[in-house]
Amino acid sequence: MAAEVLRMIPTKESVELDDRQLVELIRQGDDGAFETLVRRKTSKVYGLCYRVIGNGEDAKDISQLVFLKLWENLEKYDPTYAFDTWLYRMVTNVAIDFMRNKQSRDNAVNSNLRLVKTAMDPEQPVTVARKEVESVFNAISNVLSPKQKTIFVMSEMEDLRSSEIAKVLGCRESTVRNHLFNARKLMQAQLKKRFPEYARLWEESR
Amino acid sequence: MMTCHYFRANLQPGNADAALLEHLRHCDACLDYAMSIDPDLFFRSLGGDELVPPGGVDAFVGDVMSQVRVRNAETALAPHRTVSAWQRWALAATIAVGVTGATLAYRYEHSAPAPQRVAQTLLSVQAAKPHPAPTATKSFVETYSSHNATIVEMPSDGSDTKVVMIFDDKLPADL
Repeated sequence: MAAEVLRMIPTKESVELDDRQLVELIRQGDDGAFETLVRRKTSKVYGLCYRVIGNGEDAKDISQLVFLKLWENLEKYDPTYAFDTWLYRMVTNVAIDFMRNKQSRDNAVNSNLRLVKTAMDPEQPVTVARKEVESVFNAISNVLSPKQKTIFVMSEMEDLRSSEIAKVLGCRESTVRNHLFNARKLMQAQLKKRFPEYARLWEESR
Repeated sequence: MMTCHYFRANLQPGNADAALLEHLRHCDACLDYAMSIDPDLFFRSLGGDELVPPGGVDAFVGDVMSQVRVRNAETALAPHRTVSAWQRWALAATIAVGVTGATLAYRYEHSAPAPQRVAQTLLSVQAAKPHPAPTATKSFVETYSSHNATIVEMPSDGSDTKVVMIFDDKLPADL
């Protein structure tokens, strides 16, 4: 049925195919369809990898690995489920594995790192800049476990609901909420400790 | 595209919908204001979708596709030794039947034999067992001692048996 529908479509370029239709074409051996899928999902995959890993080059390598795994395992994809959920699961698995291997090596180094901003007077008025937020996030998010960080990123930056994250990670929604609660608590504590000028924003508004 | 005015008018603490977040993630001018309204937006102002890998999307896609082509070529060159699921099951079943059969045969051979087989075995053992040779001497002869007897030892044919003839008038007649 799906193949008949696809045959009725005049050209790939003229009509925007959805993810499932592209997967169907890739399964039939269409490498061009795979290229379209990679192009479409690059920002999403790389963005999540970058936020979780915190390093552009590593995130790029991991993203490429994700797409190769995707290509190798496309036969296993069940079209009754959302493609993005399946893709996110692959990304999180690869990224968490990478983080676990890397974290043990980097822990000692990162504990000694401090941004220059830390020396700033906590009473001085703060103007928030996006680059600063990125730096702060990269500096303090290392206190989170790879799974906590992945959940935090998916919730806060990718705007996924707890139920969606639970599907991606294959765990219960309560587990996701629990990880998220602990992650926020740890992040706020780190912010207070290392960047008191930003932590003051919370205190002032509450 | 949402205006900064609309964003600021609609932003409520704890109530940032997708459209508001989209604006926040692309507008530096509204970042400071958003923090003052809802500090929870501090990290939420960072999105992921707008990020581009180093070198650009085209180079990234090109790298992925070249690796896919290499793997395709490797797969094409590799000898086709793929075995279907049915063949795998058939092979596994054959091995299982063979092992089970061999085990059963071994157990049958080494298990306790049936009564009939025991009787046959005993008969064959008895048939094969040599009958005891008749005693050549009697105890009397072994203790015999006389100065008048004539003892003749018969020449042996190579076997261990020795034939000795004793001629003595004093010996009992029924010896």
